[in-house]
Amino acid sequence: MIRFILLQNRQGKTRLSKWYVYYDDAEKVKLQNEVHRLIVCRDTKHTNFLEFRNYKIIYKRYAGLFFALCVDVSDNELTMLELIHLYVEVLDKYFGNVCELDIVFNFNKAYSILDEMIVGGEIVETSKQVIINAVKNIELLD
Amino acid sequence: MFHLSQMDQIFLKSLADVVRTSRTTSQYDKLTFTTQTIADIKNELQSRQESVRYQALLKLFFLAMEGNNIRWAEFQIINLMGSGDFQLKLGAQLAAHLVIDNQSQGLIMVTNVFIKEFKSSHIECSSTLSCLGTIANKDLSDSLLSHVLKLTTNTKPLIRKKAIAVLSKIFTINPLNIPGNLEMVIQQLQKETNISVLACGISLFCSIMKVAPKLYPLFLSIVYDQISKQKSNWLLIKLVRISNKLISLEPRFQGKLIEHYTRLLNQTNSKSLQYELIYSIMRHFKNHSQLYESAGDILKQFLNHQDPNLRCLGLECLTHISTSVGLMEFQEQILESFKKSDYFSKLQILQLFKDFTNQNNFQTVIEFFLKYSDMESNDKIIESLIFIITKDKFINVDDPEKLLLVYIPIIAQKIDSIDNAIRFKELLFELLTRVPGLKVYSDQLCNQILQTYATQSDSLQGPTLNIVKRHTQLKYSLNHREIIFKSLIMIVGESVKLLKLEALTNIIKFLEQLNILNCYESSLSDIDSLLFKIYIQIIKSDPENQIIPQMEQLIKNIYTKLHNISIVKISFFYESLIQIKSRDQLQQLYNLFEEDLPPINLEAQKLIKPPEGLDINKSFQIDISEIEKIKNTNSDYIEQKQLIQQQQQIEQNQGEQQDQNSEIQIKVENEEELKPLNNKIDQNANKIFIINRDEELPPGINQDDINKFKEEE
Repeated sequence: MIRFILLQNRQGKTRLSKWYVYYDDAEKVKLQNEVHRLIVCRDTKHTNFLEFRNYKIIYKRYAGLFFALCVDVSDNELTMLELIHLYVEVLDKYFGNVCELDIVFNFNKAYSILDEMIVGGEIVETSKQVIINAVKNIELLD
Repeated sequence: MFHLSQMDQIFLKSLADVVRTSRTTSQYDKLTFTTQTIADIKNELQSRQESVRYQALLKLFFLAMEGNNIRWAEFQIINLMGSGDFQLKLGAQLAAHLVIDNQSQGLIMVTNVFIKEFKSSHIECSSTLSCLGTIANKDLSDSLLSHVLKLTTNTKPLIRKKAIAVLSKIFTINPLNIPGNLEMVIQQLQKETNISVLACGISLFCSIMKVAPKLYPLFLSIVYDQISKQKSNWLLIKLVRISNKLISLEPRFQGKLIEHYTRLLNQTNSKSLQYELIYSIMRHFKNHSQLYESAGDILKQFLNHQDPNLRCLGLECLTHISTSVGLMEFQEQILESFKKSDYFSKLQILQLFKDFTNQNNFQTVIEFFLKYSDMESNDKIIESLIFIITKDKFINVDDPEKLLLVYIPIIAQKIDSIDNAIRFKELLFELLTRVPGLKVYSDQLCNQILQTYATQSDSLQGPTLNIVKRHTQLKYSLNHREIIFKSLIMIVGESVKLLKLEALTNIIKFLEQLNILNCYESSLSDIDSLLFKIYIQIIKSDPENQIIPQMEQLIKNIYTKLHNISIVKISFFYESLIQIKSRDQLQQLYNLFEEDLPPINLEAQKLIKPPEGLDINKSFQIDISEIEKIKNTNSDYIEQKQLIQQQQQIEQNQGEQQDQNSEIQIKVENEEELKPLNNKIDQNANKIFIINRDEELPPGINQDDINKFKEEE
């Protein structure tokens, strides 16, 4: 199960955060700082997984943004890496050559896309086309 | 509620405006900006126009992401979740998780909102389910369970999959909801054809396994059914994962999976699926050699892969090989992978070897890790090596001599932390206690290690004490070199009786020559103690008095540097007393105290007036006969005491000798190897200790006494 998802830039600014397990506000801030501190100093020869408290952090860097997932120890790391890549591909297809500013100004769209992929911490859809179609259907109703 | 005029709408700030302003505002003006924006939002949320309220909602969401508290807007957001406008509803549902938590009082209102939304169109229902998946708690789950269950039979796969995903959370929060409801879901899934819905169903089963594993028989058949026909990698990964858990509960299930696992292993190119399969096979399929071998081949590919992620996962799989024989198969790949790995992977590899090193690969492992340690992982490597060596009372060590003379000095050189220095010290003590025959090598070991310390420049520059400032008080703590130095000195001191004369003289020359005294200031008492023991041993071992004068000079040089000559004088003097066996020499000393005490010197009384009635010219000893009686009693006592002491000394020597002989007999192999190297223990301990330095004679003894003694000898 996915416990939380964070999108942070190199300066530690959180662009997107989704929490599937209850944490109070102070704990959320602490977690964001801790995760950023752990992943920002790792270079390319390090693995994309690391132990974090009793869970695992799986992260991937795309340009200046770090996509980090906190998952249970029993979850498949490679699957989660694939999920991060899928999310980036969907964002790229939706926004067309996505960049950090697209997420800053259209965070509500980014959250909508995420909600089509993950519900209650579980992956519900992995087809790029199905996800894009679902988001476009929502836009039609707007 | 109010209606904004067209004029007002022109000046209305959109989300993009707020974002731009926030990015360009300085830190000092941020508070003003935030306060102003929140005030605007509060007004806009009460507007009748949905577009205005929607923008206000998005701006509120943005401020929450910036770290501002928006819990004051809980009621407004819940209200908007039930709005007729889908855009507003969606915005409110996205923002819901920021204001609603387990303790929110608005949760009661949310229940009715959700029940109403579940009856709407499939898109609205879908977004409501996504929202519920994020904010569900116990009360909400219990209230909405029946509604969510109904949605699992919806015609749209979008609704079905999200409903099952939400059920997964509901069952995890409150497992009491599972009985009675799970069967209905399983019946639906048995007829299901959509892969996404099936994948959500398998995730549901995984969640149930965590909270109620005994319910596994309900979905065992459906898992097996799907694993035999599915082709989607995402679904297969989930199926293999749940099969892994099912095998531990139902071992008979293992047999049924062999064929499918073999097929999947041979057909798939997906690394994530391969990893999941290898993980399961390494854990549960050790008895099936063909499958195990195939998995082993793929595992070797993982260990040799350029991608550090795959190498790390390969090592993760290896932790499930419970025998060292099994691990030996992969040893070469693991060690190769160590060279390219990052810090965390190196820790994984070290842990593997800590668990699985044995006598067969002990030397290979030690030599490899000593060769490939780097700055980052050096501390952990040394800690692991010490653990491997000392594990189960040195069970892995088949050549203690090589360990002591070859590996231990290299380990000592690489130690750079206090914790490891303490572990090293304990290792040495334990090794030499358990293999007493090795004590003859203690001087060699000492020289090897200290020679390295001496050649490294920093050991000669300044003291080796760490000055640690804690709470404004300066406190001193030993650094790792000092700890090792002290332990070596102690070991040599304990082994003095087993060392050759040459070795002992070399140690003294070493200590004197390299000026170590300046570096290891806090070990001076240990050095003093060692020199003392060496000196006594040299006296015993050198009956012809050939090297004693040279040694005395060296020791004197050392003590001169230590400025501790008084200690030397006193210690040498009392040692000579112990060594003297003849009563006559002791008698000379008795004579010192036999004579009457002289009366108080008049000169001394100039300043201090004697008490009244005291005749300073009169002797203290009034009753001579009484004194004589005491003296005689004392002299008998002293004589008997001396005899007793002599007897005790002889018995002690005999006892030590017997202990040494029994220790030597216990380790027969070591004795046979080390016999030609061992010193003969000198039985003749009646060496007389001679002081040949007039200026250093203590008061009461003059050179004539010494000369007289020599003539008698």
